[in-house]
Amino acid sequence: MAEVRLTSVGKIYSGAVPAVKDITFSVPDGGFCVLVGPSGCGKSTLLRMIAGLETITMGEIRISDRVVNTVEPMDRDIAMVFQNYALYPHMSVYDNMAYGLRNRKTPEPEISARVAEAARILELEPYLERRPRELSGGQRQRVAMGRAIVRQPQVFLFDEPLSNLDAKLRGAMRVEIKKLQRQLGVTSIYVTHDQLEAMTLADQLVVMNQGVVEQIGEPLSLYERPETVFVAQFIGAPPMNMIDLAPGGGGPKGLDGSSELPVPASGARLGIRPEHLVVDEDGRPVPTRPGDIRLELAVDAVEAVGAETYIHGRLGGDGLMITAREHGKMLLPPGTSRVFTARRENLHLFDAATGRRVDI
Amino acid sequence: MVENRPLANLASHLILIVGVAIVAFPVYLALVASSSDPTTIANGQLGLLPEGHLFENYWKVLFEGTERSTKQPMIVPLFNSLVMALVISIGKISISLISAFAIIYFRFPFRHTAFWVIFLTLMLPVEVRIYPTYKIVADLGLLDTYAGLTIPLIASATATLLFRQFFMTVPDELLEASKIDGAGPWKFFKDTLLPLSMTSVAAMFVIQFIYGWNQYLWPLLITTRDDMQTIVIGIQKMLYVTDALTEWQLAMATTILAMLPPVVVVVAMQKLFVRGLTETEK
Repeated sequence: MAEVRLTSVGKIYSGAVPAVKDITFSVPDGGFCVLVGPSGCGKSTLLRMIAGLETITMGEIRISDRVVNTVEPMDRDIAMVFQNYALYPHMSVYDNMAYGLRNRKTPEPEISARVAEAARILELEPYLERRPRELSGGQRQRVAMGRAIVRQPQVFLFDEPLSNLDAKLRGAMRVEIKKLQRQLGVTSIYVTHDQLEAMTLADQLVVMNQGVVEQIGEPLSLYERPETVFVAQFIGAPPMNMIDLAPGGGGPKGLDGSSELPVPASGARLGIRPEHLVVDEDGRPVPTRPGDIRLELAVDAVEAVGAETYIHGRLGGDGLMITAREHGKMLLPPGTSRVFTARRENLHLFDAATGRRVDI
Repeated sequence: MVENRPLANLASHLILIVGVAIVAFPVYLALVASSSDPTTIANGQLGLLPEGHLFENYWKVLFEGTERSTKQPMIVPLFNSLVMALVISIGKISISLISAFAIIYFRFPFRHTAFWVIFLTLMLPVEVRIYPTYKIVADLGLLDTYAGLTIPLIASATATLLFRQFFMTVPDELLEASKIDGAGPWKFFKDTLLPLSMTSVAAMFVIQFIYGWNQYLWPLLITTRDDMQTIVIGIQKMLYVTDALTEWQLAMATTILAMLPPVVVVVAMQKLFVRGLTETEK
């Protein structure tokens, strides 16, 4: 059980551009922190620095108040689950889990007790004598988890542990990881590029882009109040629609109501989530209030998936592609033109120059 | 492509059988010769069926030796060859494993230079550097010793190259997982890398054992005493006798004996090959 605290942490590979720069955040004891971002954003590098597999060029990392910058991985009291599991192919499942304990001179009776306990939690008991190659992907993943659990470390580190599984199994394992982490109460740091995984697992979400932190917070607060254009477009699926506004508030053809918005002198980008666009049904316009935005879209394609419908249309007939998400079935014929309304309180406005949020 | 053409099948089998016969027949003939008595061979009456002197001939060549040429029991050169082949193959594999481990997993100055220097020895087999090597071995007083027989042949890069290639395919995550599991470099080598390399080691062992067993020029140069001879030299010496007939039945028995250990090694290691091929481990 431990708090992990990063202070101005940075990493520069010899001579090249910094991979990670000036990162400061802390994960409370027992917290589940997810680092999320597109590939190449430095999230894995950061995790490997916490694990001790990469050197730290700047700043300091503390695990339960001990500075671990120069401490060897084995002495940091961490356990890591790798993307490709990194199980020892020539060892049985039992030995894979016991190896780390044996290296630490744990007495053999205690090893077998801990492995048995981990196997029980992870439902691996029938497979203890098997080799990793005789297991399915999900089982290997659980062995990798078991190897981390038996160590009873202060911190769990996960490096995209679910990305090699198929979609269905990934969903199930996601729930299991979350449950397990609650049950064990071990501080965890989890890296993923999948925003759905990030949203569902995290107590604390760290969105990274190009080596810097874009925003830190609870998943829903990031969803509801993204501080930058990057976060706004990264969190949520389908992604947020972005419409460029001129300094006076003028927008492209088909957009109405934007002149009411406090657009800064450098111009702005208006963000509207697909689910916040409400369509006028059968000539009955949605009643509007001052400050609401109305969009006229020429319907391009309609995707009905049952519980909801995605409508893709072009703004003003031939402009920007906008996606709206409506409840239930809504079979609009392609080619028709419809008006969509977005409430003022659901709008997001970002400074065009800095990409930062502007309060409405 | 699955075809069922009986004629083509027959033809291909015929070709294969002829090929096997061409290779196997001389060996069979050697076996027949080693079971006959001297007069049959001397009179040119060697038949195609084995005769009754098999055990007698083998006993004689192993423990008594020929009557006219070397007069040495062949058990001694057989033992020498075995020692030489084993020391060369085990020595080469050990040194190569360790050097490949160093080149791949450690960052030290002139790492690449070290690799290329090792690589260079590929171009310098014993036959090329035979004079300087002989001089060194002689100056060190290693003539007529096992050390002199084996050490100069151990130093070469083939196995290092093979293990280097193999180590490069081992995923980095295994090393990182070992680090987190508290294994130092030596433990990683012993617990993870070595078990994973077992099939390459087996392949190398077969190749190097046969290489060591069949050495001719080097043992010929540096051994002078009869009790340090290797089996290949032993056969050669057996064939040349002055003023008498070569004892062909004994020479053939020695040849058969000399063939056996490499065959045993190949057959024994084949199981490991097959296991390595069928149980793919990533």
